[in-house]
Amino acid sequence: MKILLIEDDREAASYLIQALDEAGHVTHHASDGETGYAMASSMDYDVLIVDRMLPRRDGLSIVESLRAEDDRTPVLILSALGEVDDRVTGLRAGGDDYLVKPYAFTELLARIEVLARRASPAEAATSFAVGDLLLDRLSRKVERDGEAILLQPREFRLLEYLMKNAGKVVTRTMLLENVWDYHFDPQTNVIDVHMSRLRAKIDKGYANPLLHTIRGAGYMIRE
Amino acid sequence: MRRLAVLWRTTTVRLTALFMLFFVVFAVLLLGVIFWQSTVQLQRQQTEAIDKESAQLQRLDRNNGFRATILAVQRLAAMPGPGIYYLADPTGQVIVGNVSDLPAEILSDPGTYSFNYDRQRPFSDDEAADGPPRGMAMVRSAKLESGLILVVGRDVLERRGFSALIFQWFLFGAIGILVFSMAAGLFTAVRVLRRVDSITSTSRKIMSGSLSERVPVTRRNDEFDGLATNLNQMLDRIEQLMLGLKEVTDNVAHDLKTPLTRLRNRAEAALREGGHEREALEQTIEESDRLIKTFNALLLIARAEAGTPTGAMSRLDLSAVVADVAELYGPLAEDEGLQLVTDVAPDVTVEANRELIGQALVNLVENALKYYEPVPGVPGRIAVGLRRDGTRVLVEVADTGKGIPAEDRKRVMERFVRLEKSRTAPGSGLGLSLVAAVARLHRGELRIEDNAPGVRAVIDLPAAQITSRSN
Repeated sequence: MKILLIEDDREAASYLIQALDEAGHVTHHASDGETGYAMASSMDYDVLIVDRMLPRRDGLSIVESLRAEDDRTPVLILSALGEVDDRVTGLRAGGDDYLVKPYAFTELLARIEVLARRASPAEAATSFAVGDLLLDRLSRKVERDGEAILLQPREFRLLEYLMKNAGKVVTRTMLLENVWDYHFDPQTNVIDVHMSRLRAKIDKGYANPLLHTIRGAGYMIRE
Repeated sequence: MRRLAVLWRTTTVRLTALFMLFFVVFAVLLLGVIFWQSTVQLQRQQTEAIDKESAQLQRLDRNNGFRATILAVQRLAAMPGPGIYYLADPTGQVIVGNVSDLPAEILSDPGTYSFNYDRQRPFSDDEAADGPPRGMAMVRSAKLESGLILVVGRDVLERRGFSALIFQWFLFGAIGILVFSMAAGLFTAVRVLRRVDSITSTSRKIMSGSLSERVPVTRRNDEFDGLATNLNQMLDRIEQLMLGLKEVTDNVAHDLKTPLTRLRNRAEAALREGGHEREALEQTIEESDRLIKTFNALLLIARAEAGTPTGAMSRLDLSAVVADVAELYGPLAEDEGLQLVTDVAPDVTVEANRELIGQALVNLVENALKYYEPVPGVPGRIAVGLRRDGTRVLVEVADTGKGIPAEDRKRVMERFVRLEKSRTAPGSGLGLSLVAAVARLHRGELRIEDNAPGVRAVIDLPAAQITSRSN
């Protein structure tokens, strides 16, 4: 994946570039808003990581300009401002996701991988399949190996989100944000309990499990 | 002079002056109308008296003949007073009368006239001094049946004198009103200014640093007391916020420095000893994550206490939020061997910030889960409820555990307060302070009550007005 990182803190930037490189991504770096905007509008990237407070040009205005030029490259906004309204203004400016500093690298990685995927047509698919597990978004039915699985509405949304991002790591916070629409860190393992119930419904009694726990990061559904 | 200029700039003095002006103008107008009315009235009375006398004499002449008339007029003319009487024969020759120089047309052409004349005798002593004064008369002439010509009238100077007297009183009155209203105005202005000055001097003292200073409140219970009470409440709030801020900085110093020191010591030890770098680093990340959480919670509390912009508030279906949170935590409670029951009233809406309310509710449920200690013989249960009580909306999270001793119930809502028995469980000690701050932000409060057994936490919020816009 080709990533543009617009971040003025050189230490944070070089750490991110190295970590993204280890994860197999090519990262370009701009250390101020003007350069970042010039690079973003002249080259094709899969994902932009934009810091909100930048020298010479504000991160949000870069995103706004790109959106005004009909550039739909997914954008992850990084910010030290983490209040509800800050998040809302960030997303309203055209950002696709918002991550508050300080963050764990696994969280950032999971989010940009999901974001890059969002640009592909899978977003609009009416059904998902992972191995012999099928999910139909229209009839809201789930079956595995031809056998219907009954899910609660919330479990359905959980599985839908996982399958939409099949093969990618989704973190607990991403699940809480996208399935429950809450933006906070739970102090308890509340998400894990829901995941283990879902796992019991879709994996129990089958030889090859589909739902995997990725240690220190989150969950992934794959064959 | 300078002081007067300063005084003139105050609203009170200007308003008082304006009021005074209105008052004086109105009073003068009123007096003027009274003066004018009384003058007109006097004149009419005089005219009526003349007409009446003239008619009486005409009747006398008709019934008793001209001799009786002459006698009567003679008697009347001799009486002191403002009366003017004159009787002439048909040729205009005077028979009796107390005036001499009547204009000829009065006699030849009967009617009502006014004219100047030389008064034959003064009717008040002070006028006697200046020789025969010019008089002013109003008369009515009539031809009698016997052929004589009768003139009856009154000297109007007396009436004028009376009017002048009224005018004099009128002047006195006007001046009195002016002086009185000025005195009253000055009195009011000074009184009001004194109250304002007391507020000003208090605020100066506060600005110069003594934040505990308060505006004096009298027992009069007037609008100044209302203002003073409000100002004092505002000052209380500010002082409370300042104290809160100080408390936060103290706590931040203590509760963030402690883990930071731990972090540093661990890194140092790992460097010195070697061999356990990986483990030390993992612990470092864990510790810094905890620090970040504490820091975030502190920021959120500070933000909630400062009040978020109203844009972050919207009409919120609280029933859905409470049901959502209960659904989110139901499985976890079950895994912990607790039953999570809900009793959520439908369609309860509040004007609220969804994130903050959600976070507050989550904190209460997580607290109930984390600090639950079973009581023998009582089934473990967490009840999440939402009900409407008049104009209030009550969100309740109650458990059936050991509970919190009565003396600690207030204390647990303070920042960083952790009860001894809960020290071992993970947490920052900020959970309930955040809930309390969120409740206050929404003009409500958090109450920790006894669930006998267990704890019942109640977020008491005002219900959204039904009449307000729906969005």
